[in-house]
Parts: sequence; C-alpha cells; structure tokens
Amino acid sequence: MPKRRDILAIVLIVLPWTLLITVWHQSAIAPLLAIRKACHHLVKEIFIIPERLAVRHHRLSDDGVEGKRESGGPAQDSKEYCASDKDIVEVVRTEYVYTRPPPWSDVLPTIHIITPTYSRPVQKAELTRLANTFLHVPNLHWILVEDSQRRTPLVTRLLRETGLNYTHLNVETPRNYKLRGDTRDPRIPRGTMQRNLALRWLRETFNANSSQAGIVYFADDDNTYSLELFEEMRTTRKVSVWPVAFVGGLRYESPKVNAAGKVYGWKTVFDPHRPFAIDMAGFAINLRLILFKPQAYFKLRGVKGGYQESSLLRELVTLNDLEPKAANCTKILVWHTRTEKPVLVNEGKKGFTDPNVEI
Amino acid sequence: MKLKLKTVFVLYFMVSLMGLVYALMQLGQRCDCTEHDLPKDRTISRLRGELHRLQEQIRKSEATKQPQKQPAKPSQPTIFVITPTYARLVQKAELTRLSQTFLHVPQLHWIVVEDSPHKTPLVSDLLVKSGLAYTHLHMPTAKDRKLQEGDPSWLKPRGVEQRNEGLRWLREDRRAQPGGDTQQGVVYFADDDNTYSLQIFEEMRDTMRVSVWPVGLVGGMKYERPVVEGGKVIRFHTGWRPSRPFPMDMAGFAVSLKLVLANPESCFDGEAPMGFLESSFLQGLVTMDELEPKADDCSKVLVWHTRTEKPKMKREEALQAQGLGSDPAVQV
Repeated sequence: MPKRRDILAIVLIVLPWTLLITVWHQSAIAPLLAIRKACHHLVKEIFIIPERLAVRHHRLSDDGVEGKRESGGPAQDSKEYCASDKDIVEVVRTEYVYTRPPPWSDVLPTIHIITPTYSRPVQKAELTRLANTFLHVPNLHWILVEDSQRRTPLVTRLLRETGLNYTHLNVETPRNYKLRGDTRDPRIPRGTMQRNLALRWLRETFNANSSQAGIVYFADDDNTYSLELFEEMRTTRKVSVWPVAFVGGLRYESPKVNAAGKVYGWKTVFDPHRPFAIDMAGFAINLRLILFKPQAYFKLRGVKGGYQESSLLRELVTLNDLEPKAANCTKILVWHTRTEKPVLVNEGKKGFTDPNVEI
Repeated sequence: MKLKLKTVFVLYFMVSLMGLVYALMQLGQRCDCTEHDLPKDRTISRLRGELHRLQEQIRKSEATKQPQKQPAKPSQPTIFVITPTYARLVQKAELTRLSQTFLHVPQLHWIVVEDSPHKTPLVSDLLVKSGLAYTHLHMPTAKDRKLQEGDPSWLKPRGVEQRNEGLRWLREDRRAQPGGDTQQGVVYFADDDNTYSLQIFEEMRDTMRVSVWPVGLVGGMKYERPVVEGGKVIRFHTGWRPSRPFPMDMAGFAVSLKLVLANPESCFDGEAPMGFLESSFLQGLVTMDELEPKADDCSKVLVWHTRTEKPKMKREEALQAQGLGSDPAVQV
C-alpha cells in the first residue's frame, strides 16, 4: 500500500519535469510559428488586388518621350491609382496576386528584357500576350527594339497602353542581312542588330559604378515564359542558364550539370560542341557583367547557324562560371513556341479588309 | 514496497542530471534555430517597411486622385471561360500563357475541359499553381470524331464534346446556386491557342444576350467582323461562306449566363457542316438583330485567332528510335 509520503515524493519528482517539458516545447515552436504567420500576412497585404485598382506607370509629360527609365522614388510618385471603390477583393486560391504592374520594389534587381520585333500580321497579338505575361513580373523593364526605319504607331500605342515600364528603340536591318521571305537561312541571324542596339543603350544609360542591380534577358516575342523563370533569373551573379523546350529538334535542350552544380556540357543533338550550345531564351546575364565588358556584342557577320549566342557569351564568361537554375536544369520554365503564319488567302490582291483597322 | 527518502532523492538527482544534460544539448540546437530566424526577422522588417511605404503612397495618391466617373459597382458579373484542351507538346505552354492573361481579369472563372478519359496531372497541377478560380473537367471525344495524325485541322470539328460538357457543368452548378435565373454572368468560349487582350473581357462583361466583336487573323483574312449600322449588326464581313446564319469564329461572341440557363437544350452540334459550329449553337438563342456589337461598334480587333506551330521533333524521334530519348520525367 503506497504511503502518502511516497506519493508526495513521486509527485514532487514528476511535476517539475512535466512543467519544464511543456514550457520548453511551447517556447521552441512559438517563435517559428509567429514568424511564419507574419510572413504570410505581410505577403498577402503587399500583394492584394483591390477591385478596379490598376497601377499604371504614367509619365506625366508624355508624348514623344522615348521611354521611361526606372528610378526608385520619382517613378513611384508618378503612379496613378485608378480605384473606383475601396473594396479589396482577395482572389481565391492565391497567395500572390498582382496589381498591374506590380509596385516597384527597392530591393529586387531589375530585369531588363530585350525583345526584337518586326512587323507582320501576328505582331500585335504576340506583343499583347507577351505584355500580359510581363505585367505579372515586379521590377521589369521592357526594351522593345523594332526592326524598322521608324518607330511604328502600333507598337508605340501598345506599349503605352500596357502600363509597363519600357524603352522603345528601333534599328532597321539592312536588306542584305534580312531574311528573304520564308527561306530560313541559318547563316543570317535575325534580331542581331536589334539586340546589339539594346545592349548599347544599356551601356549608355547605366554606368558601371552605380549600385543598380539588373539582369539582362533576351526574350523573343513568340516564346512562352512562365512566371517562375523571372524569379529564377533574378539571382544571377554572372550568367545563369536553364533548359528550353522545343529547340534543336528535341523536346528540350538543357545544359549538363554535374553533382557539384557546375555546367560541364550541353545536352543537345545539334552541334553540342559549340562553346555555348544554348538558345537565346536559355540564359540571363547580370547587368554588371554587360557594363564591365563594353566590347561584348553579338557577332553580326560570319556567324554559323546556332553560334550566335556563343558569339556573345564567350566574351563574357567561361563554362565554369555558369550558374544552373530551374532545379539544376531539370525543370522547363520557357518554351520556344512559334506562331503559325496566318493564312490570308481571302484578302486577295487588293485586300478585302479595311487597312485602317489595326490587327 | 517502501520508498526510502534517501532512494527517492538519489533517484531524483540521477534523473535531473540526465535531464539537464539532455536539455543543454537541446538548448544548443535551439541556438542554431534562432540564428536562422534572424535573417527571417530582417526580411520581415524590410517587408514591413516596404508595406508601410506602399500604404503611404496609396493614401497619398487617393487624396489627389480625380473623382471617378463611374459609381462603384457592387459586384461584377463573372465571366465563365470555357476552354477545351487536349494533350500535345505545346499544351503546357499554351495553358501557361493563357492563364497569365486570365490572371489579370477580375471575376473570371476558368472552366478547362480536357479531351481525355481522365484528368491529367499536367493540367491539374497547372490549374492549382495558376492562382485562378477554375473548374477542371474532362470529356473524351469519340474515336471516329477525333482528328487523326496527318488530318488537316478543318476535317472534323474540334472541342464540341468538351464545350458541351462545360455548358452542362455550368448549368448544373448554377442551378444549385441561390438566385436561379437572376444570376449575372457571361459565358465565353476561349480556345487555348488564341490571343486575348485584356480589354475584350471588359467589353463582354455587360452582355445582356449575345455580344459580338471582330476577330483577327481568321477566315483567311486579317480579321472578320460584324458590320454595324445604327448600333445593330446588319451583316457579317467575312471572306468565307458569309451565308452562314452566324459566320463568326468561336472567339468572336459571348453569351449571357441568363440565356444559357434559360435554354438548357442549346449546345454545339458536332454533326453540323464545317464552319457551322457556332451557328448551330447561336441559332436557338438569338437573332441577328438582337446581337450586341462591342469593341467600338466592331471596329477594333481585341482578340486574335493565332495558331501555334507544331514543334519539330525530328531529332527527338531519331534519338528515341535509338533508345536515347530525353527524360520523359521532365514535363514539357
């Protein structure tokens, strides 16, 4: 029969330990939970979409200005919030919902997207859906370079209406470099002069000593980009690479990454021994590198098919410096889609439709 | 059993000693955790700073903002977008960029209907990650109605069963909602390879019966459009079979939810001759003079019938014949 004294003794032993254990568990878990909750709450608050709220980068003294450069404070002051009511609607199932375009952040590096474009029937459609994608990406600066003698009103109007942060340039490729009709002559790379002009603009606009963090990406106007891609490339220190779908006659081409996380080769069938056997959409360059090497441009003449990317990259990095992204180059975040040329037989010789209607 | 006090104390000492050692080890581990928490704290304070700055801006701009022209709408009609889709190489890319466009449109509900006997994980995962309000359905096309490899795209009508399934689900779902016939909404059929501007969704939102607008790059022309006079559609400007009752593309019209619910039998007729698919649906719903022209009296092109090339897989096929094809686990 256990004596009262024994019971008391046992209680005296056990009680402080149970107290200690419970208190200790609580205090260990609580801070972590609090942090997680605070993070979620902040993320929701920053990226909420009010009904009818549209954030537009309005340049108050607009017309004729070539474009808008990003610059922390003044850029935000010129934003115009067109909210009709204060109802805040949180889109169901989303943690990140964007105002259009997302507010400029002082901490994120800017992504400078260089897109060469040229006039053809699907141009407006391509640029429209590209803009719809870019409107989701914070701190994005779109450098659109037209292959034309003058900046066309179609592109000018489109850029202005999107509300994106953009720069509109143009340079015409001389006739002997242009592709003739439909013949895909791989010896003449398309868009080279336009991309070089954009690189030159970047070098003239930003000086190497400024602290503006930036990433340069070459985005063709008919490809498809996932939003995850832009966040992957934001942490580029020199040049980062990832797989691209539907290039080189394969489901995807990708860099070969070894166990140490370094690129040692290229998983392609078409000439895998090129210095950089990668598509234009498969890499991004840190702006600092572009500014430090002001002589690096895409080679214009005498470039073999598929070597255009190498002509620029070999002046900037070595294979060892490449940073593999997209889960060590195992996920596809960009697709090299191509849009069919629309059949316009019913237009006939004189044109059936009103040419004043812009398509 | 008699518990001597001495044994109790000795026992207590041993246990507490062991416990102390254990707690000290745990304490050591906890130190590591707090080190990891510091950067998180820093991030939080930075984000908080940004948040306060943004809130200040909102307050500042709202103080200087122009008075609004339109009164606040209590709730917008929902746009139900029905998209048939089928598995092919470019499917994920098409649905990705489509979802990026839809993510900008408020009050949009995406109804994706797969041409498949079951829901595929590719589409399921994409829809979950998209951040949209969606419904995922599936309806396989009968074998004899399906396009085979090498068939031209116009040989058999595509997406019929899927669109009808979308309509069926919508009717069933809406019947269960309170309010019944007074529900506001618009139904739009959006193919997964077209290109949509954001304005088209705002144009179609106030559809009372059936609204129409031009579509670019279709019918063998730069655009097809309804011809409007006096605010009414009098005929259609199209280069191909203009004698059809409604010579329009699927992307060129939207139907109000009310009309869809009021006509539970109307759906797309797969047996209709080529190009008459849209007419087979609209004939039972509306007459031409009841059509509501949008897009500035049908003078602006806000949607384009783009088509995506089939990617060349010559080298992939050659590799697969050798057994060296690309990793099928990597989803394209």
